[in-house]
Amino acid sequence: MSIDLLLALITGAALFGVGIYGALSQTNLVMIMMGVELMLAGAMVNLVAFWRYLHPDNPAGQMFVLIVMTVMAIEMAVGFGVAIARFRAKGSVEMEEAVELKG
Amino acid sequence: MSAQTFFIGFFGLAAVWFGIVVFRTFSMVRSALALLFSQTALGAMFLSMQAEFLGVLQIMMMATEMSIMAIFMVMFMMDPGGLGEMDMTHQKRLSLSAGIVSFVAAVAVAVFVDWGPVAHTAPDAAQQTVDLGLELLGRSMLIFETAGVTILTAMIAATAVAIQPATWRSKHEH
Repeated sequence: MSIDLLLALITGAALFGVGIYGALSQTNLVMIMMGVELMLAGAMVNLVAFWRYLHPDNPAGQMFVLIVMTVMAIEMAVGFGVAIARFRAKGSVEMEEAVELKG
Repeated sequence: MSAQTFFIGFFGLAAVWFGIVVFRTFSMVRSALALLFSQTALGAMFLSMQAEFLGVLQIMMMATEMSIMAIFMVMFMMDPGGLGEMDMTHQKRLSLSAGIVSFVAAVAVAVFVDWGPVAHTAPDAAQQTVDLGLELLGRSMLIFETAGVTILTAMIAATAVAIQPATWRSKHEH
């Protein structure tokens, strides 16, 4: 196996692991979103590596990366919308205080 | 070791290191900046892997996205500067275990799976952009259009959720 592909996959795995740690351990909604962003970044590295080292002639691989970028943007938009609503209702975005989804 | 391998490893390491810094610093602004550096390093890694279009797109998108995130951090955090050194974490051991287990599992898959023959050359940057453009407006057009409509829906949904409800306004104005 190519060392470049292995390096990229290990980077993706490490980013995914750090992202899971962040998403599970943080109590603030914005920090949790940062963890999710890192997990998606890990997935994106893998997709680019698979396209580059396994199927460089098939542009559908790059298409998948664009979809993941779209998911990242949507996650940010909706997440910040929820954060504003929550901050307005309760004065904080600490998720330990959010035992119910009611606004 | 080729220069390409070196830069892929270097930028990969930088991306992971700044990813770790995101959750290690008490300052929320530094967290947002660390995430920006992590995503930028990833963009540079894409460039090293000869994915020029995606690399530039990643750097441009994330620079904007993380700047907005930094503003939100300052707006919503109780201690954005981190001077109070507040601990805003819970279930640390469980989270750390989950992170390590997922990392080890993903590395095991990467190492032990036979990925087949590896391509040593990729189309040049101009050809890649042409191919991607034809892909987006050809075979993958429905997926691409769906992504566009989904972003529009998310924008409307986010605005609808964030807008001041009339009941809240009347309660606070009188």
